[in-house]
Amino acid sequence: MIQVEKLSKSFGDLKVLKEISTTIAPLEVVCIIGASGSGKSTFLRCLNLLETPTSGKIMIEGKNILEKGVAVDKMRQKMGMVFQQFNLFPQKKVVDNITLAPVKLKRKTKEEAHLFAMELLDKVGLANKAEAFPSMLSGGQQQRVAIARALAMEPNVMLFDEPTSALDPEMVGEVLRVMKQLAKEGMTMVVVTHEMGFAREVADRVLYIDGGVIVEEGKPEELFANPQNERTKKFLARVL
Amino acid sequence: METIEIIKDALPYLAYGLWITIYISTVAIFAASIIGIIACFLRMSKNPLLRYPAAAYVNLIRGTPILIQILFIYFGIPTVLSINLTPLQAGLIAISFNIGAYMTEILRGGIESISKGQMEAGRSLGLSYAQTMRLIVLPQAIRRMIPSFVNQLTHAIKDTSMLSVIGIAELTMVGQSIYATNFRSFEILSVVGLLYFLTIYGVSLLSVRLERRFVMS
Repeated sequence: MIQVEKLSKSFGDLKVLKEISTTIAPLEVVCIIGASGSGKSTFLRCLNLLETPTSGKIMIEGKNILEKGVAVDKMRQKMGMVFQQFNLFPQKKVVDNITLAPVKLKRKTKEEAHLFAMELLDKVGLANKAEAFPSMLSGGQQQRVAIARALAMEPNVMLFDEPTSALDPEMVGEVLRVMKQLAKEGMTMVVVTHEMGFAREVADRVLYIDGGVIVEEGKPEELFANPQNERTKKFLARVL
Repeated sequence: METIEIIKDALPYLAYGLWITIYISTVAIFAASIIGIIACFLRMSKNPLLRYPAAAYVNLIRGTPILIQILFIYFGIPTVLSINLTPLQAGLIAISFNIGAYMTEILRGGIESISKGQMEAGRSLGLSYAQTMRLIVLPQAIRRMIPSFVNQLTHAIKDTSMLSVIGIAELTMVGQSIYATNFRSFEILSVVGLLYFLTIYGVSLLSVRLERRFVMS
C-alpha cells in the first residue's frame, strides 16, 4: 500500500531521517516507537507530506507522491491523520468538525455527511456530544472526535501521531480502545506511540527508530521479548 | 458674541468638515483593508521576491511619520513624476497606504496567532491551502483581530486631521479657518475635539457589539 524508499529529511544541517525504507501492507497495523527526537513523528508526517522529504520515494498505489504534479490534496483525502494536540476546529461544533471536509470536498451531501458523522460519533461513543463545541470536551473525548473526523473521509490508511501523549492518564484508555476497534475492523494504521502495551497487543509490526534510521523491526512479541540490537535493548529497558 | 452664538454659527461648517473626515476615513479603511490583505499574503509568502517588497513597504511606513508621507505624496512625487494629484486624492492615497501597512501586520499577527495545527488538520483532510485558510484559519483569526482593527479605525479617523497641511477641508482644517477669522479658538477647538470624540466613541461602541456577535456565533 505504501512503499517508502530511502526517505531522507533534513531541517537545515540537521539530518532527521536517513534513507529510511519500509513497506506498509494493506490491513497492517504498524507501530513506530523510539525516543523523543528520534525522527519517528517526522517520518509519519512525511507520509502525507505535512513535511516535505529531502530525498527518496514514497510510492502509494504504484505512484511516487514526491514527483511534481501529483495531486497532493487528493492523496491526503485517502490518508486520515490524528494529531497529538487533536487540532479540532474550535469555532465549529463536534458534528460540523466531522462533516466539514466531506461536504466541502464534495464527497457527500450535507445530509449524507451528517448521517455518517452521527454513525462515527456513535462508534467512538460520543453520539450525545454532536452539538457540543470542542472546548466543552475532555482531552480524551476531543481525540475521539478527531479520529471520527479523520474517518469521515473514509481513508484507506490512518496515521496517528502520538495520539495519547497529550492526554491525562485516565483518558488514554478510551482513545486506545477506539484505535483497537479500528484495527480489528481491518483499518491500515501507522501509529507513532509511547504506549508499549498498545504496540504489543495491536501491532502487526513494530519499528524502532533512533537517530533517523530504523534500528530494528519485527513482530511485537519478538521485538519486545527478544530485541537483537543493543540500542533497542537499552531503549526497551528504559521504557518497559 | 455669546459662546452659544459662536458655536451655532460654526456648526454647519464643522459638520461639513466632519463629513469630509468621515468620508476620507471610510474610503481609506476599505482601501487599507484590501492593501493589507494583499500585502499580508505577500509577506507570508515563501517566495522572497514577494515577501521582501511587502516587508519593506510595512517597515517604510512604520518608520516614517505620517505627516512626511502626506507631504511626500502631495508635494514630493509630482515634482519627479508628471502626475498631478488633487489634495483629496493625495490624502486618500497617503492615509490608505499608511493604515494599510498597519493592517498588514494586524492580519499577519492574527493569522500567525492561530496554531499551526489548525492548518495541518485542514490539509491532512485533503482541503487545499486556500480552503483551509478561508474555512478554518481566517474565521478564527478575524475574531482575534477585531480589537486591533477597531483601534486602527480610530487611528484612521484621527490621522485625517494631518490632511489639513495639504489644504483638505476636513474637520481640523475647517476649525482652523473659523478661529482664524473670529479668534475664538477655545470654543471652536473644544467643539472640534468633541466631534472627533463622539465619532470615535461611536466607532468603539460599534466594535463592542461586533465583538460580542462574533464571540457568540
